[in-house]
Amino acid sequence: MSEDPVPERSRALPATEVLIGRIGWLIRLRWVAVAGSLAFIEVARRVLSIEVHLSRLLLVLALLALYNLAAEFLLHRMRRGNLVGRERPEAGGEGGPIGPIARFLLPRTPPGVEYYDGQAAQAALFASAQIVLDLIFLAVLLHYAGGVENPLRVFFIFHVIVASILLSRPSTYCVATLGFLLLAAVALGELWGVLPHHSLEGHWRPGGYLDPGLVGTQVFLLGVTLFVGAYLASSIAARLRRREIDVVVLTRHLEGEARRLQEAYRDLSAAERAKSEYMRKVAHELRQPLSTVKTALSVALDSASDSMSPRARGLIVRAERRAGELAEMTRELLSLALARGGEALAEPVDIDLREISRDVLDEMAARAEEAGITLSVQVQDALPRFEGNPGGMGDLMRNLLGNAIRYTPRGGSVSFSLGVEAHEMVLQVDDTGIGIEREALGRIFDEFYRSEAARAHAPDGSGLGMAIVKAVVDQHGGSISVESEVGRGSRFRVSLPLREERAESTGPVSE
Amino acid sequence: MSQGKKILVVDDDRDLRDILRIVLEDAGYAVALAGTGPEGMEVADRERPDLILLDVMMPEGTEGFHVVWKLRNRDDPYFQSVPIVMLTAIHQQTTLRFYPDSRDGTYQAGEYLPVEGFVDKPVEPEALLKEVARALATGRKT
Repeated sequence: MSEDPVPERSRALPATEVLIGRIGWLIRLRWVAVAGSLAFIEVARRVLSIEVHLSRLLLVLALLALYNLAAEFLLHRMRRGNLVGRERPEAGGEGGPIGPIARFLLPRTPPGVEYYDGQAAQAALFASAQIVLDLIFLAVLLHYAGGVENPLRVFFIFHVIVASILLSRPSTYCVATLGFLLLAAVALGELWGVLPHHSLEGHWRPGGYLDPGLVGTQVFLLGVTLFVGAYLASSIAARLRRREIDVVVLTRHLEGEARRLQEAYRDLSAAERAKSEYMRKVAHELRQPLSTVKTALSVALDSASDSMSPRARGLIVRAERRAGELAEMTRELLSLALARGGEALAEPVDIDLREISRDVLDEMAARAEEAGITLSVQVQDALPRFEGNPGGMGDLMRNLLGNAIRYTPRGGSVSFSLGVEAHEMVLQVDDTGIGIEREALGRIFDEFYRSEAARAHAPDGSGLGMAIVKAVVDQHGGSISVESEVGRGSRFRVSLPLREERAESTGPVSE
Repeated sequence: MSQGKKILVVDDDRDLRDILRIVLEDAGYAVALAGTGPEGMEVADRERPDLILLDVMMPEGTEGFHVVWKLRNRDDPYFQSVPIVMLTAIHQQTTLRFYPDSRDGTYQAGEYLPVEGFVDKPVEPEALLKEVARALATGRKT
C-alpha cells in the first residue's frame, strides 16, 4: 500500500464496479417498467374505458420480460468475471483494449488520466445496447397503444436520464436523438399509412393521427423535451461525477492522514513510555543512596548527639530533614513513573481493594489522630474482583487521604468511602479542609504544582501527590472529579471501571 | 530482652549494613552481615541468628522475595521458624502481598510473604528497634 504524496485520480474510481452496479439498477428499473406498463393498461381499460390492442401489448411486454431476464443473466456473468480477485488492471490491459466506440460511450475523465479497463468498456457496450433496446420497445409499445395519441411518449425522457447517469454526454444526446427519431418514425409511419394505426379509442379525437399539423407539433415538442432533458441531465451528471471523484480523492487523502496520525500517536506514546521508564530508572537509582544518607543522619542524631556541638547538631537536624524530603520525593517520582509507564511496567493483577484500603487506613488513622481529625470510613462489604496495579491503588488511596488530612485543620473531619456503583468501583474522600481555589482546580493534577494556599498551610510537600493519583486513575481507565469550596472543604471522587468494561485507548483515530 | 540475641542483616548497601550494625549493636544485639541473598543463606546456616533482617530489593528488583521463599522452603526446621523482618523501600506492605510469580515456581503471585514484620526505608532507628523486638518476642507465625 504505497503512500502517494499526490493521490492519483487513476486509482480513484472503481469505474467498472460502479458501472456494473448501475446496470443492475437499470435492470431493476426495467422490472418496474414491466409492472408499471401492465398497471397502466389495466387502468386505461377499467378506469378510463380506453380500448387497446391487448394481445399485442401483452406480447411485447412478455418479450420485454424475457429480454430483462437475459440481461440479468449476462450481468451475473459479468459480475462473476469481475470478482476473481485481481489488482485493478492497467487501462487497456485485462479484458482487451478500449475500442473507440467504448471510449465514446464512457463518461469523460479528467485529462491525462486513464481509469477504464476492458471490462468497463464491455459494461458500457452492454448498457448502451440495453438502452437502445429499451427505446425500441417503448416505441413498439406506443405504436400498439395509439402511437402519437399516447401521452406516455414522454417516457422517452427516462432513457435520456438513464443514459446521462451511465454514459457520456455525447451518448446522452444520441439517445435523445434516437428516441426522437423512433417516435417520429411511428407517428409519420402511421400518418403516411406505412404503419397500421392502433388507436386508443375514447381518448383522442378520431383521426387526429392523420392531421400533419397536430402530429408534427407533438413530435417536435417531444424532440425539444428530449434534447433539453439530455442537456440538463448530462450537466447534472457531470457535476455529480466530479463530486464523486473529489470525494474519493479526499477519502484517500484522509485515509493517508489518519494513518500518519496513528503513527505519530504511536510514536508519541512510545516516547511517553520511554520517558516514564527513564524516570523510573533514575528514581530507582537515587532512592537507595538517599535513603542511606537519611538513615545515617538519623542514626547520627540518635546515637551521637550528646557528643555533638549544638551547631553541628542543628546542621545535622536540617540535613536529616531535607534528606527525608528527598527520599520521599524520589519515592513519589517512582510511583508516578510506574503509574504512567502503562501496562508494560506494572502488570495488572487481581487485587483485594478491601485489604489495600485496610493497610492504608491503619496508617492514616494514626496520622488523623495525631492531627486531631476524625476519620470515618465506609467500605462496602462484598467488593467484586478488581484487576489493577496494587502499588498504584495503594498510592492513590494514600495520597487522597494524606492530602485530606494534611489540609484539614484540627477539629475537622475526613471521610473515606469505597464501594461499587453502577458497575464501577467508586472511591470518595471528603474533607472539611481549606478547600481549593477555582484557579488552582485546573492545575492540581500537574506535577510539582502546589497552590499558594497549599504552600501557606503546609510548607513541606512535593506537589507530586495529585499527579500520582491522576496517573493511577488513567492507568486503570477511570475518571476523577473534584468539588471544592474554599474554607468549607473538598470532595474527590474516583470511578474505576470493573474489568469487563475497561476500554483500551488505541489512539485518536480508532480502527 | 536483647541480650544474647543475634541478628543477621542482609543488604547489598555496604553503608547501610554498617549503619544498621551500629544501631543494633548499640541496642545490645550481636550482628552478622551479608551482602547478597546466597551469602545471607550461607551465613544464616552457619550462625543460626535469632532474627533475619532482609532487604527487599537486592541488588535490583525483588530478589529479597526469592530469598525469603528459598529460606522457608529449606527442609531444616530452623529455617521454618526463624523470624524474618523485611526492609522495604517500595510501596510498603501493600505490594509485598502481590509480588510477581517466581521464575522457578516456588511461589505464586498473591501469596502472602511468610515474614513477621516490615521496616520502611529510610530507616528510623526507633522504628527498626521496635519492630525487631516485637518480631523476636512473637516469633514465627504459622
